[in-house]
Amino acid sequence: MEAFEWQQAASPENAASLATHTTTEAMLSAQGTRAAFTQAMLIKAGGVDLIGLMKDGLVSPVRLIDINHLPELQGISENAGGGFTIGALTTLAQIATHAGLMKHYPAFVQAVTTAASPQIRNRATLAGNLLQRPRCWYLRSAAHHCLRKGGEHCFAYAGDNRYHAILANHDGCAIVHPSTPATALLALQAQIESVSANGVQRVISIDDFFVLPSIDLHHENVLRTGELITAINLPAPHHTHRSAYLQLGEKTAFDWPLAAVAVFFAIDDKGICQQTRIVLGGAAPTPWRAREAERIIEGSKIDQNNARSAAEAAIAVATPLSGNAYKLPLLCTLINRTIMKAATSE
Amino acid sequence: MDNNTPKRDELLSVGMAHLGLKKVTREIPDDEPPALPPNAGLNFIGRSSPRWDAVDKVTGAACYTVDVQLPGMLFAAVMRSPLPHARIRSLDLVAARNFPGVRAAVTLIEALSDGSAPAVLYVGQPIAAIAAETLDAAEAAIQLIGIEFDPLPFAVDLDSAMKPDASVVYQKNEVAHIPFIGFPFVGELPLEGNVRGPNKMVQGNINDGFSSADFIVEETFSTQVQTHCCMEPHAIVADWHEDRLDVWMSTQFTAGVRAQLAATFRLPLSRVRVRAQAIGGGFGSKSQLGQYGKTAVMLSRMAKAPVRLVYRRDEEQMDSGNRPSSRQHLRIGASRDGKLTAISLHAWGSAGVAQGAGVGNIAMALYVCPNLESLQYDVFTNTSPSTAMRGPGNTQGAFALEQSIDALAEKLSFDPVALRDVIDLSPVRREERRLGALKMGWAQRKSPGFDSGPVKRGLGMAQSLWPTNIQLNAACEVRLWRDGKVEVLSSVQDIGTGVGTLLKQVVAEELGLRPEAIEIRIGDTEFPSGPPSYGSRTSASITPPARSAAWQIKNALLQSVASHWRLDPQQLTIQDSWIQSADNPSQRMSWQEAASTLRTDRISVVTGRSDDYAGFRSSHGDAAIALNDLGGVQFVSVAVDTQTGVIHVERVVAVHDCGRPINPLQIESQIHGGILMGISYALLEERIIDPHTGWMLNPNFIDYKFAGPSGLPQIDVMVLENYQGFSATDAYGVAEPANIATAAAIANAVYNAIGIRINTLPMTPARILQALHGADRRTC
Amino acid sequence: MSDKTHETGTDQIIKPSAEIFGPGTISMVLNVNGILQSIEMEPRTTLAEALRTSLKLTGTKVACNHGACSACTVWLDDLPVAACGILAIEVVSRKITTIEGLGDADHLHPVQKSFIEHDAIQCGFCTPGMVMSCAALLARNPHLGVEEVETAISGHLCRCGTYPHVVQAMLSLSAEQEADHG
Repeated sequence: MEAFEWQQAASPENAASLATHTTTEAMLSAQGTRAAFTQAMLIKAGGVDLIGLMKDGLVSPVRLIDINHLPELQGISENAGGGFTIGALTTLAQIATHAGLMKHYPAFVQAVTTAASPQIRNRATLAGNLLQRPRCWYLRSAAHHCLRKGGEHCFAYAGDNRYHAILANHDGCAIVHPSTPATALLALQAQIESVSANGVQRVISIDDFFVLPSIDLHHENVLRTGELITAINLPAPHHTHRSAYLQLGEKTAFDWPLAAVAVFFAIDDKGICQQTRIVLGGAAPTPWRAREAERIIEGSKIDQNNARSAAEAAIAVATPLSGNAYKLPLLCTLINRTIMKAATSE
Repeated sequence: MDNNTPKRDELLSVGMAHLGLKKVTREIPDDEPPALPPNAGLNFIGRSSPRWDAVDKVTGAACYTVDVQLPGMLFAAVMRSPLPHARIRSLDLVAARNFPGVRAAVTLIEALSDGSAPAVLYVGQPIAAIAAETLDAAEAAIQLIGIEFDPLPFAVDLDSAMKPDASVVYQKNEVAHIPFIGFPFVGELPLEGNVRGPNKMVQGNINDGFSSADFIVEETFSTQVQTHCCMEPHAIVADWHEDRLDVWMSTQFTAGVRAQLAATFRLPLSRVRVRAQAIGGGFGSKSQLGQYGKTAVMLSRMAKAPVRLVYRRDEEQMDSGNRPSSRQHLRIGASRDGKLTAISLHAWGSAGVAQGAGVGNIAMALYVCPNLESLQYDVFTNTSPSTAMRGPGNTQGAFALEQSIDALAEKLSFDPVALRDVIDLSPVRREERRLGALKMGWAQRKSPGFDSGPVKRGLGMAQSLWPTNIQLNAACEVRLWRDGKVEVLSSVQDIGTGVGTLLKQVVAEELGLRPEAIEIRIGDTEFPSGPPSYGSRTSASITPPARSAAWQIKNALLQSVASHWRLDPQQLTIQDSWIQSADNPSQRMSWQEAASTLRTDRISVVTGRSDDYAGFRSSHGDAAIALNDLGGVQFVSVAVDTQTGVIHVERVVAVHDCGRPINPLQIESQIHGGILMGISYALLEERIIDPHTGWMLNPNFIDYKFAGPSGLPQIDVMVLENYQGFSATDAYGVAEPANIATAAAIANAVYNAIGIRINTLPMTPARILQALHGADRRTC
Repeated sequence: MSDKTHETGTDQIIKPSAEIFGPGTISMVLNVNGILQSIEMEPRTTLAEALRTSLKLTGTKVACNHGACSACTVWLDDLPVAACGILAIEVVSRKITTIEGLGDADHLHPVQKSFIEHDAIQCGFCTPGMVMSCAALLARNPHLGVEEVETAISGHLCRCGTYPHVVQAMLSLSAEQEADHG
């Protein structure tokens, strides 16, 4: 790891004004494999991903702006109108043990509980988890100057793509989004609050937060330099809401899953599904809404048959690469099971 | 050989203790102790004494090589090839050498004898190394090394390396320089393209054998490259002095490293000292001095200061050894009654740029068959050199053989256990199968694919075979001090096997003391040369001389006491730290008092490993192969989710033998380790190389996946007491047998569950789904 | 252990401020095992490096250096964390407990005793971290089942395969406590 300066931000706005790049931008370089922006000043929260990237020589900032101590970014609070606000720096461990969140947003807490390891969950922040760089091994290899890092070539298409995307994967880059909590947050219609250097706050619907390669090959989300996440909002719970999350990996701990599914339903008194969000993880460059599946469930009573039809509809549109067709039956099963898990939950 | 030693006849117990023992008469050397009774008659051997270094390990006090900090110590970093095959046009270390804090720089790659530019043969190959005052400075200086390459074509996988037009890793005149990884040693073999071999073994007439077969099974099996993943990386601290060399190294063989250092740097053995106090795992990858070892010494010599070289995890994964890949075409013929008529094995494997990718002798040696043919080839690829890894060869070999026997049993309508009762002559394994089958509930095994699903369960079993290696260059010293203190000294190292505990138990048993009273000093070549910790040979090699030395020390002490009491030493016994006269029990003396009668402050006996009492199968240099084999039988139950392809190993019953078990709990630990590494090999692990750049894509513990603690199977370990009467302790190792059968047993259980045979490792969800549903299935 | 044997440098504890530290060596005070200790470090120095190198507390092991194996587990304010991924400068003034602070040869922690008794140790390189995770688990939940233990150690990798004996060691402690409390 290259040497760097260290500074603690006085406030979120202060941090936003000090930072010269996002980590993503600081990893971009037009040529060569060494990080281009050695003059970058980067914001560091839990640092779980950033320190790893720095150790691997993928980013070498001149200064880190630490925000981990800022009290205004911590904690979980219940809002007056229902719903919860989760400070950006709330750790995954704090979320995993929060009774209110467990009760109202099981999909989210299940996703958080299965992320990484206990040690990492004690340090990793929710915002940091959403902003972590993809696990693509070409992206994370200093020897492969790939498209997403500013190079001219995606190595995954002709290389080993067993862990890559099966959806929205033909626009130059086939990463899968690495955050599993993000799948649940997308299902649950969370909002992301941010603040900029000039103090301007904005609220971004999670529907608009993640960015596909077809829009921008170099970013996974809409956040840009000078802006940082302050909180994540979860909408008010309702007795009709159901949610569930399942993931499947090769290992049962500290392994980014091969596939993950988060679902959210609002099921009325007659058992009819009035709101449906089915989100796939490990499948696409962003957490991915399986709208074909949602259409089958929406307005129906969930049963074994339409759950399976929905799962198959989601998979019908997939475009697997040379090495990842196995994800089709895997995701199909997982969608089916997650729908049934949510539908039969209380 | 020690044929000239005076000998006497001794009655020794042989057989499996729970079935009853027989006595046999064997000639044993006069300076060795009388027969050691079976464990039931002993106080400390056969009981689970706490691990000798457990307190240090649980408190963090244990000192590993990575913990050694010497005054003025420099830190080394290695510059490695970024290309899988290239000529080095120029190499310039000047800027690196002039970087602040840099104290030494060496190149690690030499120009060829014909003067042509040197070539790098794989990504990660060391090219140069720097020692500097800080690791950061060394790593920064590495970036300043100027190098120009002319890239050459390359092949990183078996298929492309075997193509007729493949680029060649080695020319014919370079064969002598090919690094060699061991097992089995083979000299002159032809090299065609990248394919070297065959290493051939033939017995009987293979064609006749197949003609006379009623049934034939024939399959091709593939196994992946596995990396060792020692938790402590490869590490060395080298301290070159004008008159001697001091080395601390995370090694499986301190004495072997000393010999290699002495030869490499032209030093007398007496001037090289190698220490390894605690070692964070080895599994075969830390058996040799290796290039990293030489590098640190070269840097220390140049800088005139101690140099520490510790691999980063990515270096460790890329270039510290691995288990070779294999492709095995196995054909087995049998007659209706189950008897084997022919076994033909054609195997190709790649140990990268090294030779030694064989699949062992298990297909030729486990079962009785009159007609055998084994042709094994090394295929060179532009990947890092393999090293031995836990059960080298036979682990890959068992995956093919034991699945084929399972398939044959089905074809013959035999139960897999019953078929082995026909073709396996070992009475020990027959008993192990019986015990294991009972414990597992084998009788309830259903026909293949019986469960309706989606989760299908199955049972499988497989067997291990491992030759019993003995290190003849293996010695141990026992010292008794006048204050009563007893020390056991040897350069033997404890890589996590617990050999120090065995020494405590054996010496305590012989001396009539408690194990806590024995001080263990090992892992230092200033002490008598101990055996390596590989090949499952350590216990068998070092515990007999330890007992012999203790026995001689005991005799000397009794002699001293006898002189003091003016009695015949034959009349004296030691029990519970008291020396007493057989005739007059009231005449007794504590151990301390007895020691105080010694004429000198300290007495000492050094003994070496003698030949096995019944001789050896073969003997070559420092090592011999004993008459007995090590085996073991493992039964596995799995649950296969046919919708997700996930295999869960629910239970393992492991029945093993290692002669006289000295410490049952430590044996159980080691068997757990072999099984878990086997499960991991079967289901998870794979070194993945990018086909276009030759880089390892998973050089870390995130993407290289090995088994963690979640979802552990229930593991039932049963260890037989199986006496041979071959040595003073009759103890043997178990590290390799515990690993060899596991993947094959899982594969057989998977077959029993889903009715489809998985011939390729690892058995990932992707592979299972592909096998069950074919590619591109879009339903669930 | 006494809490303040090293008073000098307490005024150097970094407080939130606009001050810029580094990139070169700076003086910091770490609170490790109840002792405040002043060390010279760079901002890039990880907690694991600071413990192992400056404070010579080598019981904390670094195996993967990327948070994936948990060999470097220490407690930060009583929570197990991976010390390889935390900068020392981040945890100035925070309470850090390492394996050396848990118990020593004369005063073994119950988890350490149980590890010895069940041979939950082989090469020992992952052991200090594993002990720290298990001791943290025991402190917050003395009544353990297999699942709690497997979850608590789920981040650990052990190549020797000590996991089954670690689980047994912990379950036996749980059973002991159950017996003690009727």
